Amino acid sequence: MNAIEIRDLKKSFRGMYALNGLNMTVPVGSIYGFIGENGSGKSTTEKLICGHLIKDSGTIKLFGKDYTDAGVRVKVGALIENAGCFPGSSVYTNLMMQAINLGIENPDDEILRVLKIVRMEEHAKLKFKKCSLGMKQRIGIAMALLGSPVLLILDEPINGLDTDGMRIMREILVDITKNYNCTVLISSHILGELEKIATHYGIIRQGKMIQELTAKEMESRARIFVSIKTKDMQGALKILKQKHNNVRQEGEYIKVYDIEDTENIIRYLIENGHIVNEVKKNKVGLEEYYIELMSKKEGE
Amino acid sequence: MEQKKELNFTSPSFGKRLKGMLGVDFYRLFHTPLFYIFLAIAAIIPAMILGMTGIENAQGIVEPMYTNTWQVIAAQNPLYVVSSIAEYANMNMVFIFGGIMVSIFIGHDYKSGYVKQLFTTHPKKQDYMLSKTIIGAFSMTCMCITYLFGTILAGLFVGASFSVNIGSLICAILGKMIMSLGWASLFVFLNIIFRKYFAISIASSFFFGTGILIVGAAAILGNSSILNIFLYGSSVFACLSSNILTLVTCLIVSIAWSVIYNILGTHILNKSDVY
Repeated sequence: MNAIEIRDLKKSFRGMYALNGLNMTVPVGSIYGFIGENGSGKSTTEKLICGHLIKDSGTIKLFGKDYTDAGVRVKVGALIENAGCFPGSSVYTNLMMQAINLGIENPDDEILRVLKIVRMEEHAKLKFKKCSLGMKQRIGIAMALLGSPVLLILDEPINGLDTDGMRIMREILVDITKNYNCTVLISSHILGELEKIATHYGIIRQGKMIQELTAKEMESRARIFVSIKTKDMQGALKILKQKHNNVRQEGEYIKVYDIEDTENIIRYLIENGHIVNEVKKNKVGLEEYYIELMSKKEGE
Repeated sequence: MEQKKELNFTSPSFGKRLKGMLGVDFYRLFHTPLFYIFLAIAAIIPAMILGMTGIENAQGIVEPMYTNTWQVIAAQNPLYVVSSIAEYANMNMVFIFGGIMVSIFIGHDYKSGYVKQLFTTHPKKQDYMLSKTIIGAFSMTCMCITYLFGTILAGLFVGASFSVNIGSLICAILGKMIMSLGWASLFVFLNIIFRKYFAISIASSFFFGTGILIVGAAAILGNSSILNIFLYGSSVFACLSSNILTLVTCLIVSIAWSVIYNILGTHILNKSDVY
C-alpha cells in the first residue's frame, strides 16, 4: 500500500493548468523529496492533497482511501507555507486549539510531547508573533505532529533557516520517520539538505511528474568525475581525450567523467608537458542530476 | 526504539467532528480579547444612547430622546419605517456588532492560515459553517445580555422610566436572542463569500446588519408584516408589544434562514478553493 497515490491529477487556475495529468506514488514510511522549479506545481499538489484546493479531475488516494475520507484526514499533518497559528496567541494556545480540533484526550501531554520533538518545550508560553522564523517553522511541524499523524506534508520547511536551523529540522524529520513510522512528503529548493534525508524523489516539471526514483537509484546514477585546470586547457583536453572516453570542457574546468584516479591523470598530463594548476574529485549529486534533467528539453 | 504503528483509520462521526470544531471556536472565543471587547461595546453603547442623546423641542430646550428605559431595547410597536434615530437605535444594534465580530473572527482564521490546519485534518466544510454560526449566535446572545445590563444601569443612572409590560419585554428580548442564530448564519455566509477580502467582509456585515435594505423596502411597502420573513423584519417584530406568536415567528424565520445560509455557505466552500 502507498501512502499517497495520485493518478492523472489536473488543476487549473483561470484556464492555465498548474497540474496537467500528474501521477505520483509515495510509499509508506518514506521521506519523499518533491523537487521542481518555481511554479512547477509542487505547492499546488500539496494543497490538493491537503484538501485546500479543489481538483479539476484525477484521483488522490491516501493509504488506499479517497483523500476526503475523514478517517484518513485525521491522521494527516501539514505545514503549507506557514504554521497557520494566531500571532497574538501563545505557542501553547495555538497547539491546544489544534489538539481540541483533533479530539485528543490528554492535550497537555500531547502538546508537551510534540514540543519536545521539535525542541520547543521551553517556549510554550511565548507568543507566536515573538518567535523567530526557525521557531515558527518548528511550531508548524509541532502542529502537524499533533495526534501522531501517519502522513506529514511539508512545503519548503527549511526555507529561510540558518545552518543550525536546517540541521535541527533535518534531525527532527529523520527522528519522525524512524521512530514514529510517519511518511513524509517534503518539497524544498535546498537539494543538498533534501539529499541528506530523502529516501525517494519525485521531480515535477510544468505540472507533470517527469521522474520518480529511490535514493538508491539516485545513488547508482551519481557519476564521479575529476575536474582539472591547466595552463594550456586546449592542449590538455586534446591529450586527455586520447586516453579517456568521457572528457569535456565545462566552464573553466576540464572534466574527466567516470574516473577517480587523480594521481594517474596528473602524472599523464605532466608526462605530456602540461602544468596542472588545480585538480578536484567530484560526484554528481542530486543538485547536478536535477540541473541536468531540467536542462533537457521536454520529450528528450 | 521503533514504535511501529498499525495503520487503522476510523472516521470520526459528525457529532465528534462538530464537537472538535466547537471546542476550538469556544476555546478561541474565551482565550482572545475580541469577544470581551464586543461584550463591553454592547454594554456601553445603550448606556451612551440613553444618557447622551437629546432632542431639541419647539422652545429650544434639549429634552432626553428616550423617556422610557426599555425604548433602548425595542420600539413599542414594530416600526419597519423609521423616522428618527430613536426609533432605530435599539437592541437590534447588537446584530451590527455581532456581524463585525463574526467578520473579525472568521477573517483571522484566513489571515493567520489556521483554516489550512483545520481543513487539512478531518473537519468538513459543513462543520465549519455550523460551528461558526453557533459561535456567532452565542456571542450575539451574550451581547444581548450585556446590552440589557448596560441599558438597566444607564436607565437607573439617568432616572428614565422603567414602566413596561414585563411579559412583552421578555418576549422581545428572547425574540432578539433567537434571531441571533439567523443573523449569525448570514454573517458567516457573507464572510465565506468575501473570505479573501477582509475589509469587504466587515463592510458587508455592517451593511446587512443595519437592515438598511429592509428599511428601504419598508419605505416603499409601508409597515407591512410581510417584512417579517426577513431577518431584520423579525428582529423589529420582537418589540415591546411582543407575545408568544412573536417568539414563534422569530424561531421559524431564524431557523429557516440559518438552514438556507448554511446550505449555501457549505456549497460555496465545497466548490471553491479554501484560499
